[in-house]
Amino acid sequence: MSTAAALEQTESSNFLVGLAYKANEVWADLIEFLAKLPGGAIIINYIKASHKNDPWRTILEALLALFAIKYFLASRYSQDERDKMLLSGRETEELIEEWIPKPLVPEIRSDEQWQMDTNPLINGPVTKKVEVQHHDGSVSDDVLNFASLDFLGMSMEKRVVDESIGCIRDVGVGACGPPNFYGTQSVHVRFCEDIAKFLGAEDSIIYGQDFSTPISVLPCFLKRGDIVIVDGGANLALQKAALISRCHIEWFNHNDLDHLQEILESLSEDLEQGPLNRRFIVTEGLSENFGDSPDLKKLVEIKNKYKFRLILDESTSIGTLGDNGRGLAEVYGIPRSEVEITIGSMARAFGASGGFCVGDKDMIYHQILTSNAYVFSASLPPYVAKASSTVLQLLTENEKENQVNPYIQPLKENSHYLHSLFSTSKELQKYITVKSCNYSPSLHIRLNPEIRKQLGLPESYGGPGSIISKAVKNGNEELYFDPFYNLECFKLQEIINDCVDSKVLPSRTKRILHHELLPVVPEIIFHLTSRHTKKDLDHAYFTVSKAIIDCVDNWKAKGNQLQTY
Amino acid sequence: MTFMPQYFSAMVAKNGYPPWYSAFESFYPRRLKKRLDDCFAIPIHGVPGRYINCYNRATPDYNETFLYDGTSRPSLNLSSYNYLGFAQSVGICTDDAVSTVKKYGLSSCGPRNVIGNTDLHVYTEKILSRFLGKEDSVVFSMGWGTNAHLFTSMVNTKCLVISDSLNHSSIRFGIRLSGAAVKVFPHNDMDALEKILREAISQGQAKSHRPYKKIFVCVEGLYSMEGTYCNLPALVALREKYKFYLFVDEAHSIGALGANGRGICEYYNIDPNRVDILMGTLTKSFGAAGGYVSGNKKVIERLRLDITSNTYGESMPPAVLQQIATSMRIIAGELNGNEGKERLQRIAFNSRYLRLGLKRLGFIIYGADDSPVIPLLLYNPCKMPGFCRKMLQHGVAVVIVGYPATDIISSRIRFCMSAALTKEDIDKILAICADIGDTLNLKFSSGIAGGERNPGDWKKGIRPRWSIEEVLAKTPEDCKKKTIY
Repeated sequence: MSTAAALEQTESSNFLVGLAYKANEVWADLIEFLAKLPGGAIIINYIKASHKNDPWRTILEALLALFAIKYFLASRYSQDERDKMLLSGRETEELIEEWIPKPLVPEIRSDEQWQMDTNPLINGPVTKKVEVQHHDGSVSDDVLNFASLDFLGMSMEKRVVDESIGCIRDVGVGACGPPNFYGTQSVHVRFCEDIAKFLGAEDSIIYGQDFSTPISVLPCFLKRGDIVIVDGGANLALQKAALISRCHIEWFNHNDLDHLQEILESLSEDLEQGPLNRRFIVTEGLSENFGDSPDLKKLVEIKNKYKFRLILDESTSIGTLGDNGRGLAEVYGIPRSEVEITIGSMARAFGASGGFCVGDKDMIYHQILTSNAYVFSASLPPYVAKASSTVLQLLTENEKENQVNPYIQPLKENSHYLHSLFSTSKELQKYITVKSCNYSPSLHIRLNPEIRKQLGLPESYGGPGSIISKAVKNGNEELYFDPFYNLECFKLQEIINDCVDSKVLPSRTKRILHHELLPVVPEIIFHLTSRHTKKDLDHAYFTVSKAIIDCVDNWKAKGNQLQTY
Repeated sequence: MTFMPQYFSAMVAKNGYPPWYSAFESFYPRRLKKRLDDCFAIPIHGVPGRYINCYNRATPDYNETFLYDGTSRPSLNLSSYNYLGFAQSVGICTDDAVSTVKKYGLSSCGPRNVIGNTDLHVYTEKILSRFLGKEDSVVFSMGWGTNAHLFTSMVNTKCLVISDSLNHSSIRFGIRLSGAAVKVFPHNDMDALEKILREAISQGQAKSHRPYKKIFVCVEGLYSMEGTYCNLPALVALREKYKFYLFVDEAHSIGALGANGRGICEYYNIDPNRVDILMGTLTKSFGAAGGYVSGNKKVIERLRLDITSNTYGESMPPAVLQQIATSMRIIAGELNGNEGKERLQRIAFNSRYLRLGLKRLGFIIYGADDSPVIPLLLYNPCKMPGFCRKMLQHGVAVVIVGYPATDIISSRIRFCMSAALTKEDIDKILAICADIGDTLNLKFSSGIAGGERNPGDWKKGIRPRWSIEEVLAKTPEDCKKKTIY
């Protein structure tokens, strides 16, 4: 070994010794510092003792500590981090330059423009007879209104209007605050009591808009892991409510309780073994889309048997079904306590606005704390609560045992009468089918399946597996437009336009395909009210049947063309 | 629960039915919220204007039930959203609303796209669009529902929404319903937002790396719990660079901000057309209810057809529409001469006065100088009921805010300023606050936020906390200066 090499070695070993010395010093400092910390002495003792017994253990524990530190410091989204592409600043800049977003919303197509133009604009109040202003500026007055949801004509009832005006004079228009922060007026509390008493429930809660009620009520009780079985004809609000709850959703065929039972049977084994999660059946008292009701008696039996709870959306049925307007439960003579959650609307038969939910105390209390639309929104304008209370008062005051309420009697007669007119006509049956039941205040008419086949129309639009639902899944907004749906709606609108010329204004299904989870068939709809007379109905029947026949014949002759408007 | 099952009936499984809610889910409401329930949901009667009439109530069983004796007492109202004082039962607004009810009835009787589209709706929307400086607008009968149902019509699963961390619950609900990807940036942190934007555009969607179809940035004009504004100039500049769509929720700022009450855009002197979607509520400044969405004509036309609440939900009731139309015309100076201007000046003065006064007293106050939302930080949730009860004893109604609207350890009092209050009212409120602040030990700040008494004091180590007498004597003039500290 040369001296130079030996020198080098001693130098490097000197350096190593120095390093070790320094490390020792740092270590001593660290120990000293640790000892100063509260409880530090215990830790040092522990490490010393364990090291003496088993030095490997010290190494293992040190590794574990390091791993723990790394784990806690790592980004929570490390999965995403790994997934990312490495880009230089310039590449990022280029990509940003290159990116062109889709338009904010797709523009209205020229063959869709008619939907905007034919939306009725009413000059003045919406009552039995309305003044319709057309797109071109011309006006048809004295048009019989069969499109409004004010089934009992309460919106203009004198006592209701007077009481509301009194309330506005007393407290102003708006409530100016969320219900939990000084937004609860005495009239709100009063209405809550009134509606609970009217329906025979323990407690109630009110919301600012009927459409926002289910979407806020359901997520309070349905979370991930819970189960909900929804009617396959449910309205959009219920569909969206089930969707946002992120729970397990099953659909049963519309009003097909046997199918419901099948589903429950198939689920029951899993349910018995699994945890006790919350389980609900969701359906409507009077279907908004079909105008029929489920057999509540059987439904209640089924849900009791399988220990499910029932959510019943009685938005349309309260005020219209039952002798005194207490909804489907009254029709079947079932106590309200059997329906765990009832959702209703004040914007329909009560002629006011807003929504409500009734049920037992604990359930309502939970909503007061957690329901999104209740906690984070201003309360309903107080005068609306007053108006609704007055409507309830009118209904209960005129109640007589074993008799139909005089406010509801005309509505029932009208429903039965118009239904019989449309469903018994031999001539019309070649063109249309009446979908709704005779007790429904809304009459749903759709084209006969045969006619639709002849015209080359599909059985239904949208729904699971359709092009639209795929487009929604892929975010392809250009494909949201269905030409056949547009065509059929356009033809129905032509029928309505003909009717308006003869002073009758029915409505049609206006459903937005890409929002709907379920299949849709376009319909012409008559919403009846207590104010309509037999003469009105005769006139409507005559006008509409003529318009339908003319239009469909014309359509058959000319084929599927959409005349531009 | 085991010892006294009678109190926990809602949380126990009963003959095969699961409980309505789990014990864990309800820990906060049972153990904390219930104890201060007497400060929430106090029923009132009469107009929630300058004074608010709260019913007196007693509870025999720790807030389980309340007993009312039918009496009530008026309190100064710092709790209602009544920025411009349009919660009135007299005056032209109310007269108009009453005559509208007489003419139009109570309801529009159906969805906007079916039947509920009256000339009154069209008229109100025109006034609203003119007021906002936008091409077109559409109104909805519920403010929360406006946001909740709006996003499903604008974004889909292949889009990204970048949302401020303190955005209102309705925005978050709406985005969740739309199914879009969500990223959250810390409150008002524009650098973080830019970082997220750069990454989102360059990296594209998660996993597939395809570019996002659209990117939305959602902010609020005035944050209701913080009293801060969004940084609109920076947002607009970013929007130009990154081509995202900007959504501003003006729930609290419309009517209350800007020299003419036109909201955050006017406050920053930015053309409203540089914001894609302006949304707002009509509850707060106009004494009405509901919400609106405003934008370019083409966008709004599509939204009219496409927003679910426009086709399936009830339309706005006539009386509310009239209240909006009349109050908006008053603010714009088209009716009643200078009344609108006066109201705007009054709220500007009131907000600045109370805010500066509280700061000088040594309270910790969040938010911008001009904001009519004045949060006073308590931090400790136990002080919430104390403050509220004491204020009520002195005849002032305030809103206490805790979890879930804020963090549990940043509980606060929120004063909502109103043009209906006078200077004397605010003097009184300041005096009461000063008193309660001492009792509850709330004056954490040195008072520097309210400025120095004499320039250079701070360097000399003088803590500029003011006494109540000094505050009352000097603040009313000081707060009128153009920029305060």
